[in-house]
This record gives sequence, C-alpha cells and structure tokens, in this order.
Amino acid sequence: MPSVVENKIAELKAQLKALNQEYAKIKDIPAEERGDFGRKLNEKKQKLNAEIAAAEAEALEVSVEPLDITAPCDINGEMPKFLTADNGSKHPLMTELDRVISIYQSMGFDIVESQQLDDEYHMFDSLNFAKEHPARDNFDTFRTEEGFIPPAHTSTMQNRILRAYKYKLDEGKNIAVAVPGRVYRNEDQDATHEHTFYQCEGVYVSKTCTLGNMLGILREFFEKYYNQKLNIRTQPGFFPFTEPSLEFMIEKPASLVGKSGEYLEMLGCGMIHPNVLKEAGINPDEYCGFAWGGGIDRLVMLKRKLTDVRYFESAKLDFLKELSC
Amino acid sequence: MLISLNWLKKYVDIDVSDDELVRLIGSRLVEVEGVIDETHKYDKIYAVKVVSAEKIPDTHLSLCAIDDGGRETDIIRDKDGNIQVMCGAPNVHAGMMAAWVAPGAIVPASVHDDAPFVIGMRKMLKKYDSYGMLAGADELDFGGDHLGIAELDPKVAKPGMPLADIYELNDIILDIENKSLTHRPDTFGVIGFAREVAGILGKEFKTPEWLFETKPSFKNEDVELDIEIADKKLCPRYTALVMMPHGEFEDKYLTLERTYLCKSGMRPVSPIVDLTNYLMLLSGQPTHAFDYDKFLAVGKAKTPKILVRAAKDGEKLTLLDDREVELNSNDIVITSNDIPVALAGAMGGKNTEIDENTKRIILESATFSLFNLRKTQMNHGIFSEAITRFTKGQPAGQTLPVALKFAEEAKALKAVALFDSQKKAPEPIVVTISLEKMVGLLGKKFTAEETKTILENVNFDVTINGDKINCTVPYWRTDIHIAEDIYEEIGRLSGFDNIDPILPLHGTSESSPRFVLKSRIREFLSARGANEALTYSFVNGELLNKVKQDEKNSYKIVNSISPDLQYIRQSIAPSLLNKAYMNIRAGYKQFAMFEFNQVYRKSFGLDEQKVPNGRHELSILFINSDSKCEYYQAKHYLEALLQNLNIDFEIRKFESEADKSNAYYEPKRSASVYAGDKLIGYLGEVKNSILQGFKLPQGTACFELALDCLVELQSDTPAKRPRFSQYPFVERDITLTVAGKQDYQAVEKALKDVLEAKDLIYSVKPVSIYQAEGQDTKNLSFRVSFADANKTLAKEAIQAIMKELETVKF
Repeated sequence: MPSVVENKIAELKAQLKALNQEYAKIKDIPAEERGDFGRKLNEKKQKLNAEIAAAEAEALEVSVEPLDITAPCDINGEMPKFLTADNGSKHPLMTELDRVISIYQSMGFDIVESQQLDDEYHMFDSLNFAKEHPARDNFDTFRTEEGFIPPAHTSTMQNRILRAYKYKLDEGKNIAVAVPGRVYRNEDQDATHEHTFYQCEGVYVSKTCTLGNMLGILREFFEKYYNQKLNIRTQPGFFPFTEPSLEFMIEKPASLVGKSGEYLEMLGCGMIHPNVLKEAGINPDEYCGFAWGGGIDRLVMLKRKLTDVRYFESAKLDFLKELSC
Repeated sequence: MLISLNWLKKYVDIDVSDDELVRLIGSRLVEVEGVIDETHKYDKIYAVKVVSAEKIPDTHLSLCAIDDGGRETDIIRDKDGNIQVMCGAPNVHAGMMAAWVAPGAIVPASVHDDAPFVIGMRKMLKKYDSYGMLAGADELDFGGDHLGIAELDPKVAKPGMPLADIYELNDIILDIENKSLTHRPDTFGVIGFAREVAGILGKEFKTPEWLFETKPSFKNEDVELDIEIADKKLCPRYTALVMMPHGEFEDKYLTLERTYLCKSGMRPVSPIVDLTNYLMLLSGQPTHAFDYDKFLAVGKAKTPKILVRAAKDGEKLTLLDDREVELNSNDIVITSNDIPVALAGAMGGKNTEIDENTKRIILESATFSLFNLRKTQMNHGIFSEAITRFTKGQPAGQTLPVALKFAEEAKALKAVALFDSQKKAPEPIVVTISLEKMVGLLGKKFTAEETKTILENVNFDVTINGDKINCTVPYWRTDIHIAEDIYEEIGRLSGFDNIDPILPLHGTSESSPRFVLKSRIREFLSARGANEALTYSFVNGELLNKVKQDEKNSYKIVNSISPDLQYIRQSIAPSLLNKAYMNIRAGYKQFAMFEFNQVYRKSFGLDEQKVPNGRHELSILFINSDSKCEYYQAKHYLEALLQNLNIDFEIRKFESEADKSNAYYEPKRSASVYAGDKLIGYLGEVKNSILQGFKLPQGTACFELALDCLVELQSDTPAKRPRFSQYPFVERDITLTVAGKQDYQAVEKALKDVLEAKDLIYSVKPVSIYQAEGQDTKNLSFRVSFADANKTLAKEAIQAIMKELETVKF
C-alpha cells in the first residue's frame, strides 16, 4: 500500500503534468500578455518542483526501517568487527602537540588549552594593544557579527592564565603554564600559509625571573625536543605585550639535516609588559615574567619534510596514513 | 627596504666584515632578508670622452670615436688611439663625457635577467665595426626614459675612470625585512639606520646637525599662507615652505644622488620630486611639493589656505596616477580652501601636480595619524615608499629640519617663507631607569657607565644619579615611553645573545586531564583502524543547510576569506561528512574518521566573562560502501571505547536537540548515549536525504561525545572487582525465539539476571540475530559461559541453569 507521502508525491507530479500542459495554451494568449502568463507558469512550476523534491526527501526517511538500537548487530547481519590496526592513523599535528605538551610538563609547566572563540578584551585590550593598533583591523583578525574573535594567537589566553594562577604567586610559587591551541589568521592560503593553525604559548611569572631565564627555558625545550645540544640566537622583535620582544632561533638540528650556521626562527618571545601584568592584577614592581608563542605546524613540516601546509586540514586519508607515526 | 652599504658608510664607520655586519644587524635590529652583491655589476664600464660623432646619412646612427684613456688593452684602435663605437642616441656629441660599456661587460640593467646582456663587437650596417656601447642611464640601471646616453660631469669624470669609482658603485645592498620595524619610524631613513648600526657596533653616532635645525637661514618675505588643522590627532604637525624660481635645475649629468635613489629601489622623476625622495630615503620623512599657482587656482583664493581635515564620505579626488578615488571619513585630505588637493600621506592630487611649467611651489613636510593612513593604504591600495614610512608614525620633530634641508638643497628654488603649525616644541621625554631593576629583568649586569655609553651612542642624553639614571629621549624615538623600553635598548644594542641562558628551578606541574584523555582515545581508536583528521572550524552556510542545522545558531564571520568559511561550526560530524566522498573516490571503501575539536553554538550562551561558551567534542564517522547499516559498527566502537574508559553508560531512545543541531541523525536508527542521568552524546545513522547530498552510502553512521563529560566520568580503574574461578567454566550456545520487535537488551539482561541471581561468574556474548523472510519472530543466539566460584557445577545443576535460561521471561 502506498504511504501518505508517496500519495502526496503522485498528487504533486500529476499537478506538474497538468501545469506542463498549460504551456500549450500560450499560443492562444494575446501577445502582450504572454510574458506575464509565462512568468506565472514558471513560478508555479518552480514551486511545485521544490515541493516534489521535499516530499521525495521525506519519502526517503518514511521508508526507513527502524532498527533495534540495543542490538549488537543487524538482523541476519554479521557481528561488527574493528578495522585492523594497520588502517589506523593519528594526526601528525596532534601527536606532535602531545609531544610538545609532555616536554613542557616534564619541565614543570601546567597545561591549559586555548579558546577557539574569544573577545576583544582578551585578544587585544588585556595585552596592551593600543586602541588603534593595526592588528585590530579586519585585515588580520576574523570577527563575528557580535564582535567576537576566533583568536589570531594563543596569547589571547594570557590574561586568563595570569588571573587563574595568581594564587600560586600568593603561595610563593611561580606561574609556569603552556597553552596549546588552534588559532586563526585572516590571510590567503598558499603552500606556506594557512588561515587555521596550531600554536603553543608559554607564560612564566615569578619574583626573580630574567630574560636569561627565558632563553634558558626555551633552549632547554628545544634541546629536549630535538634530543641534542643546540646553539641559539635571537633577533629583536616587536609585540605590544612584551618588552623587550625577541624572535628566538635555533641552529638547525642534525635531525633536520642542517648546514651548521643555518638558523631557524622558532617563536616570538619577550618579557611580559608591565601593563599586561597590571591588567591581570599582578604588581609589576614585585613580579616579572616572560611569555612566548610558536607554531606547531611548522615544527611538523620541518620534521616530516612537508612542503604544503594545507594538507593538515585536508582530511585526506592518503596524507593521514602516510604521515601517521 | 633596500639600503646601500656605501651610502650607509657615509654616516657610520663600519669596521667589521659584511657577513658579520649582516649577522649583527639581524641579531640586534632587524632581519636582513637578502644581501645583493653589486661589487661587480659595473665591471668594465668606463668614463670616456666622445672625441668625434659623425652622423651616418639616412640613419639615426652616429659613428663615434671615443677616448677611454687607453684603459682597454685588447682592442683595435684607430690611428689616434681612439675606439670606434656606433651610437643611436640623439644627444651624442663630440666633447661630451659618456659611460662606455666595454666589450665583454654585462649591461647593468640586465644583470638580474635570466640571460644577462653581454656587449661585444658588432658589425653594423654591414660595414662599421662597433666596440662596446655608449650607455643610457636606463641601461646603467639608473632609470630614465632611454632618450639618450648618460652624460657624465667632466669635472669628476676623466677618460678611463671606472664608472664604479666615480659613483661608488661597487656596493652591497641590504634587503631589510621592514615588517618587524613597524614601531621604529626612525630606521626608515639611511641616517636612522646608520645610527642603529653605530649603536650596535658600540660607536658614538654623530647625527647630522641639520636634523636639529629649527631656524631658517632665510627671512620670511611678504608671503601669506594659512595652515589650519581640523583635528590634531589626524595631523600632529604641518610645516610648509613657499619657494620661488631661482635659476635652472642642473640635471644634465648623472648624479650620485640619482644612483642612491635607484639603489634604494626608486626611479628618478623630476628634479623636485627626486629631491623629496632623496631626503625621504635619508631621513625617513616624506615631503610633497604642490604647484603654488595651481594650488591657488583650485582654492580660488588669493593666498594659499591649507586646511587638513578628514575627508567627507563620498568626496572624490583624482590622484597623480590619474585614478579617481572615492574618499571616506577615515581618509585625511589636504585641501586648498577646503577643496581636496592631496590624499594626505598617500598621494598628491592631479590638480596641483608640478610640471615643466611650474614656477613656485609649496613644500609640505608633515606627519599624520598612522592608524588612519594604514586604513587609507588598504582601502585605496596605495603602497608607496612614502606611505610605508608614514604608517610607522614619523616623528613630529623632524618635519621642520627636513623642510629646511629641502630649502638648502633645492638649488634652482629660493625659499621665501616658512609656516609651521607647531608654535612651541614639546618638552623631550625623560625616562628614569634603575640599574637594579634592569639586571632583574635582563639577567645581566650593566654598570652605570656602560649604560650611559650604550645610550649616548644612539644620542640619548644620560645623567647618572646613583642607581637611578635619567635618559632624555631624542625626538625621533617615538617608541620609548617607559623604563622597560630602555632596558630593551640596553639588552638589544649590547646583544641579547650575550645574555647567558639560565634554566630557573621551580615546582612540578599538574597534568591536563583533557589532553591525557584525548591522547588515550587517539591511541585506542587508531589501534582499531580509525583515522584522526582535522578540519576547519569555519564552514559555509550551505553545509549547515545540508545537515539541517540552523544558520542562526552559528556565529557568523563578517570578514571571512570566502563564503566557504563564513560560519563557525556547531558540530564536527558535518565536516567529516563533507570530507568522506573525496576519500571514497580516492579508493577507500571502508574507513572510520575521527576528530577532536571545539565547537560553538549560540545556544551554548556566554560565560561569566561574556565570552561564548565552547564545547570540546569527539566525533567519528563510519563509512562502508559495502554495507547499508553502519549503526552497529559505530555502536561497537562506542561501547568498546566507553568500556575502556571505565564509563558506565546506557543506549537510550534518540532525542532531538532543542536547537536542532543534531538533526542529521535518522531518529529511527539513532540513539542517545547516557551515563547515569547525564546525556553524553549521540550515536546513529545519518538521514538518507542528507547522505545523498554528500554522495555517501546509505547507512553511514557516526557518534559524537562531549569530551568534558568523558574527562569527568573516565577512570583508570573498573567499577566492578574482577572475579575468578578455579573450577571449570561451562560454555553453551543458546537460541531464543522472540517477537520481531523485541529489543535485544532486555533479553540479554534477563539472561544475565538469571546468572547473577545464582552468584555465578559468567559472560553472555551475542552470536547472531536471525529472522527468516516473512516471519514475525526472530532468533537471538547467545554464547553463555559460567562457573561457580567455589565448586565444580554438577551436571544437574547445569541442566537446571540451562533450562532456566531457555525459558527466561523478559
């Protein structure tokens, strides 16, 4: 017996057929009215076609047989089996992020994941960005209709981290937190630029820490990461939320088959600007700190000898299986 | 930004190798992106005297004899010792000094071409030997329009002198990555850059006196001019110079300044424009020349009335490049009596352009709001050398010195009046620093004397007062405001790399439960053949419609790169659905793809800081082109995963989300997943109509779980204690015939209840579900296995148990 919806489809199709026959009448219509007549017919036809499509979609669902959600398998079906392990893969960015996190943890850093949607205050105001700082412009940062921001850097978490861990300072301890997360930049894609990528931020605050300590921690991290002693180098940088600001570089490690003397820029870093500490309720006369942020995608690209960053978010199985480790 | 090392050396003594200089600049100021070696670009190019130039009838060519001072040895000469060369330039004439490209030399303008042009001996008009070439300025890479050959000043150029010696052309050009100098407008001029280099090399820099000059050397004549600035924020300072004709511009000869312009990447235009550009490259301060008479005509005024104001929305202005732009209220305009004559900082207007008839000029030397100009730059797509400098915020202090320098250098013009919007110079900024604080911040000790020297080298005024040091900031350092800025200067100029890296000691850390869990699930799923993927957080509206999610529940990006990336996704499964077909086409018939990520919906609301709440989610999609039912495959993974995490859960009837975000599940073939009373996720097949839209096989299924619920519920230890028996297990298969609609779980539970009640150690595993065609009953087969913890079960006891199982009620 045809279902209600099947009847409905039949009915709509009959209407469509009748409508198609109407077109034949056009020759009997006075020339000046033909345009109007045709337009009205077309409108009706479009509407009918849409209704038919909707009803057909509904029919697809109506004819669906329910299943026993509690059963282990389908009626007369085979018992499900796991796919074999050799099919499986872990995303190279995610395994690398895990490794980065575990090194920071081994160095005494707490781990907090970054937000993927934030506001102007955390992204800019709390980070000492001047009200008119160019980076606030639409040209670099995405914004939602409400003015929220898919963050362009993990530093968007700094104010939260400083506030949340301030109690450690009060207890006489230090703040040491690593913040991995997904960030977004409004820039055109090519082999080396993605609008979506991963970063890891570090935040460190204590009574006595120095720029020398920052260099010490960063060198230690990369030495652990590359399992070798490394030469480091810096370059002056500029970020509104650090003073001084630096770019941190390492000599190309042996595992990346480097020429000696070739340096890789790994991250931006600097001593936390007094205004940023103040904004989080930490007295900059008493405490100082440093922070840094670097890309994870690039670490993986270097390590795995990738030349196109766009593969990471492609969900292509060929890539995922080839790059899994 | 291109900087000629030879030009730089005019201002600073460089006593380290070029490589070392590049390294030092890189580590203490800015990255040097490239080093262009021009030390051989002008090899075998000489100044020569044109001894004779005879027109060859009916051609544009002249047959010339040139005197190269006997420089070239291996060449055929005429009886007077001169060399024969043909020249097609109309300006070639006997007696002039010219630049001769000797045979074997490369034409300089072509050195970077794929096939550089090498000059040789040519036979011309079938009978004249021509050796080398007399070069035009363009061929020498000094711009120009190829109207004639370059003429050299006989006062400096003698026959046979290498061109490179006359114009210091054996040079190294530094290509500076200027994006990271956005806060240092002073380094966008050769003098400012040289000052930094001096500071880096530990040398005292002598800033040229003219950069401090505030008194004109001329008296204002009886000239009137009004400067009005509508908003000081838009234009902190405007200096204007009125200049009258005073002889002819001498631009016959190739000049050193012109070579500097070209080496810095600019091209010569006209004497006045070239001078403004030269001073800009030198000081960082752009200037602009208006035709005085056109300025008056546009404003219909008797005397110039300069008004600097925000443009009006929709106001139009035709720029020097003939482009008419529609302005908006962010743009700043220079007006003549309120009629726009220039887009401030960006480009002059066509209506006041200087040309060959220009007699009097108004020279503008001003500074504008970098924030407005940055937007102007983007809105109108203007990326000139001038606006690049203005968008760094050129200091107000230098507008006057640069205007005065222009007055001095513009030989064919005479300054008659100077006007300045700034009546009184502001007090310089004084920053007080503490040596103790500085060592605390940098981790390296500097004495008061060392500190003083480092700062004085780059022209700070420094007075020592015990541990405190007062630093008076020179006017061009617009970036220095607080003590930390000075600490950075000390660390940077003395080299951050000279600070010892020292690892601080501190406490232990807390692990991140979410990362630990993700890692555990990742291992679990990949070991069972699933593939972890990442997909964008941004999706298009069409995808939302396709999966029946409400666009209005997604945060919408107003400045997305493309319509494909307009919304923030509400869940991960739609992204995975969207990527599946591509993989099927690539030959993958069966796979399971998962992703961990954050999702956002407006229905999640805002947190206490008024920031959108997000949710961490795990989603996994099961594709099998050979199956029409993947629900049970998905369920199999879900159960195994939750058991592995020691989470007690229950599969319940599917419920729709109030916000329709899970409307892609087929309700008849989907379920809600509960842990106790807590809804932790969904499991099910996707609606057929939706699958069709993605070209995916019917029966494609997925599940999604709220990660933070799992973090809370998961445990490393099972809730039940393990039980063992040393007595033999009985293993039997049992088949029960039940109504077609009977749910499996109830039957299974009834069997387990029987065994539980007898305090046995047991397991009940599914074997098969069979339903013959046309029958309204089905057969459920189980494998049961049980044992008693304390004794071997007797045959009778086993029979009784089996009987009870076979007749169990549910």
